Amino acid sequence: MSENLSACMMRMVETDYALSDYQSDIAPRWCVGCGDTAILTAMQKLCRDEQLAPEKTVCVSGIGCSSRLPHYMNAYGFHGIHGRALPVAEGVKIRRPDLDVFVTTGDGDCTSIGAAHWIHAIRYNMNMTVLLHDNQIYGLTKKQASPTSPIGQKSNTTPFGSVLLPLNPLTVTLGVANVSFVAQAVDWIPDLLYDILKKAFHHRGLSFVRILQRCPEFMQHRFDDYVRDPSKMRILTHGNGLRLSPEVSRVYKNQETHDPLDMGRALAIAAIADEIPVGILYNDPSVPCYDDLRAGERPSTPALVETVLREEFDKVTIWPDDAEPVAAE
Amino acid sequence: MIKQTEGSQAVAEAVALCRPEVICAYPISPQTHIVEGLGALVKAGDLAPCEFLNVESEFAAMSVAIGSSAAGARTYTATASQGLLFMVEAVYNASGLGLPIVMTVANRAIGAPINIWNDHSDSMSQRDCGWIQLFAESNQEALDLHIQAFKLAEEMSMPVMVCMDGFILTHAYEQVDMPDQAQVDAFLPPYEPRQVLDPAEPVSIGAMVGPEAFMEVRYLAHAKQTMALDRIPEIAAEFKEAFGRDAGGLVRGYRIEDAETIVVALGSVVGTLEETIDTMRAEGVKIGVLSIRCFRPFPMAAVRAALARTARVVVLEKSFAVGLGGIVSTDVRLAMVRIHVRGYTVVAGLGGRPITQDSLLRVLRLAVADELKNLTFLDLDWDIVNRHLAREAATRRSGPIAENLLRDIGSGARPTTAGKAQP
Ligand SMILES: Cc1ncc(C[n+]2csc(CCOP(=O)(O)OP(=O)(O)O)c2C)c(N)n1
Ligand code: SF4
Ligand SMILES: [Mg+2]
Repeated sequence: MSENLSACMMRMVETDYALSDYQSDIAPRWCVGCGDTAILTAMQKLCRDEQLAPEKTVCVSGIGCSSRLPHYMNAYGFHGIHGRALPVAEGVKIRRPDLDVFVTTGDGDCTSIGAAHWIHAIRYNMNMTVLLHDNQIYGLTKKQASPTSPIGQKSNTTPFGSVLLPLNPLTVTLGVANVSFVAQAVDWIPDLLYDILKKAFHHRGLSFVRILQRCPEFMQHRFDDYVRDPSKMRILTHGNGLRLSPEVSRVYKNQETHDPLDMGRALAIAAIADEIPVGILYNDPSVPCYDDLRAGERPSTPALVETVLREEFDKVTIWPDDAEPVAAE
Repeated sequence: MIKQTEGSQAVAEAVALCRPEVICAYPISPQTHIVEGLGALVKAGDLAPCEFLNVESEFAAMSVAIGSSAAGARTYTATASQGLLFMVEAVYNASGLGLPIVMTVANRAIGAPINIWNDHSDSMSQRDCGWIQLFAESNQEALDLHIQAFKLAEEMSMPVMVCMDGFILTHAYEQVDMPDQAQVDAFLPPYEPRQVLDPAEPVSIGAMVGPEAFMEVRYLAHAKQTMALDRIPEIAAEFKEAFGRDAGGLVRGYRIEDAETIVVALGSVVGTLEETIDTMRAEGVKIGVLSIRCFRPFPMAAVRAALARTARVVVLEKSFAVGLGGIVSTDVRLAMVRIHVRGYTVVAGLGGRPITQDSLLRVLRLAVADELKNLTFLDLDWDIVNRHLAREAATRRSGPIAENLLRDIGSGARPTTAGKAQP
């Protein structure tokens, strides 16, 4: 039985996953008011609405507060090595393309110790959804400046304020060859966070979503101005991007119609400093996935073709109960 | 000056007194307070001239250290656990090039499973990397060892790793005697590099060496560590002369003179062992402790001499070689070749499991009666282990071990308090 067929049949018998089906029995260990909670909720809602089978869903993370997320999702999870979330996810995806792979990674995990993998993951463009929980600080190790910390940020490693210009994850990602989907969300507008995740999930290729995430423990008041003043949020809308509900539209009046295929404008939006752009900055579904490119390299020698064929036949062969499959010579 | 302070802060201040010129680090528990303390000193201008670089990873930290040391700067970094493992390629490079970098390792377990607590797996994994490895028993010794480490590293042109137990030492508030700048300056001369990137005499560091000389370069690393075996006790003696304190050296014995049983250990657990030994001595048991303060180079002769007249040796170690047993024990056994001593290995304290006096008394009494197994895991919970082995025997897809065990002991679903206390 092919993977897709079995997935279909699973769905037929086990429809109607509820939100609780995606909640693990581990109580989240995040501080009160932590933006990670909103991200987890949005993911669980997405899974429910898409009726993703928990056993066909994988959450891969590195190390950090944000990287605890897989423990709280009732799905396959991998909480692993600081900075290595993306390559681990690539390993999962390459072996099991039928699984839906989500990656949750912190600003330290992705843009600092894991930066090399980040660049290459964008270029591979495997089909997965990457959520960058950007609280602009190393949270788990208790307040050290990260590459995305704003200039002047005081922290335990920058007692007099950070002196470097922060790295902009949006412009960096947009600059990498083969980039196919870049969006920005914020934890305090859950509706848009959800809509953006949904778009990202449906994009075929690597979708990179930077989520500005509040860390009340170490970055108190960092985003207060933006939370209080909706006009400081620039919402990107488009027929191929976000379409706003009347409620959201009423509160967030600062809107821009932005064609997600317009790379030039996407780069300009990504660089906006005084407002926070929210929405789909770039989405080019025509960029080939790693899988598509590799299709041309697939088995060519007669022996290899035979092996692959045999594997396929084995999947539909019914063996008598007591008989072992006969090994092919 | 006597002061009450945290172990990490004591080390930060001691390192600052050594006038490092470049410090680079990436945070990882339980090392963070050391580098944060140093960062604050540098940025407040209390430690000048010195550059402090918050790098993007440990791999970068050690690589920057290599560059700055080669450029003639006294260079310092610190790490732990996963961080040490991540920088390994550069760690070997630093020793291969003979660069006198000093690094603190705040000893912590290695994952998976993720564990932030103390054991010696991290440092032990690097025992063959060509760095000198010194182990501190207390916060006072940790700070003293750093001052000695710079002197040793620079004289020998070799990197030195100062190992101190994570949390047990790094996060403990204790009284320490902090020397003053003049004392340290008198003890530690300015860095005079053996090799330096010098425009007046341009050389490239990092030659490719083929079979014709590679063995010789490697042998010289060994020969130099062997020479360090002489220099380390001398430096400890000079230190005692200057600061009036006993710190460092190769090994230190406690009540071993007439001991029929000697427990060998490294680091802070030696303190606990000494108390246990006192209890047993009071019961009339002739037992003592040998603390290995310098693990690389391995002080073969000193260990051999200390153990020569005893009847049995128990190596208590916070590390182990999967598939073999002890790591320290293997080296200690080598020192015991052809002396007729019974040897026992006790692996203890992995991933922060407390090493209690009661448990120590129990295994040491068994050892004294020669009823201890050759390889013992202190306080191992056999119920948990056997339950899992049975599960594996019964089911092919028995699942990941760590998660199964947590479920078995009912701690997987444990609701916890807010994230504040996450280290
Ligand atoms: C190799 C390695 N170096 C350092 C650490 C320590 N460490 C754990 S999480 C973390 C940074 C976390 O920051 P971020 O990725 O932004 O996640 P957050 O906690 O903010 O969600 C660090 C430095 C580690 N676990 N492994
Ligand atoms: S420290 Fe910050 S990021 Fe971590 S759980 Fe607390 S609020 Fe969230
Ligand atoms: Mg962060």
